[in-house]
Amino acid sequence: MKTPRIDLKELEKLKEENFRDRLEFIDRYTEWLKRTKNRKWSSEQKRIIDQTGKSKNS
Amino acid sequence: MEIKITKEKIEFEKELNNLDMLVFDFVRALEGFDIEYVLVSGYVSILFGRSRSSEDIDIIVERIDQSLFNTLWNELSKKFECIITKDKNDAYKDYLLAGHSIRFSRKNEFIPNIEIKFPKVELDAWTLRNRKRVILNEQILYMSPIELQIPFKLFLGSEKDNLRDT
Repeated sequence: MKTPRIDLKELEKLKEENFRDRLEFIDRYTEWLKRTKNRKWSSEQKRIIDQTGKSKNS
Repeated sequence: MEIKITKEKIEFEKELNNLDMLVFDFVRALEGFDIEYVLVSGYVSILFGRSRSSEDIDIIVERIDQSLFNTLWNELSKKFECIITKDKNDAYKDYLLAGHSIRFSRKNEFIPNIEIKFPKVELDAWTLRNRKRVILNEQILYMSPIELQIPFKLFLGSEKDNLRDT
């Protein structure tokens, strides 16, 4: 298989953009957490965490 | 989010997930022998709502003598198993005293696990001394001060636990 030519500068730029996007998402997520009732966010959190745990041990 | 934050404690309620229950089960054993501990790192952000799982939960435990460690090991062995070594003497001398951590998982599971270590550097000792009390569903947990989590994450710059998570 022929591997693509990798431009490290381009990858570095991509990494920075991904990081910025991630920070923006976390800001939005934090705002959502603040305005959401504990019962709701913790129920969603439980669904995600418990499901991940099941697949890791299966 | 309904949460009460004072200088002395942080108090809130939530539906407990498997990680929360694992932590409660483990720290109850520590508390049964009056062993001081502090939860640090990624689980702290999960405790307050971040929806990601974790393979391990990091706990700094006060340095205890071998006799108390043996007693703790026996108690933990009812629900957990050490996945690093099956020998409690090795666990204490070759790992904890040597500055390494040991990990406990629920029996016949590997992940998630609880990683415990004795304070290794001054920062660990400081964290233990300045631990913050959290009352979750009327049960007590001790976690690292938030003020420490932020520079710690900034310094480590880990991909999965970045600064804003704290």
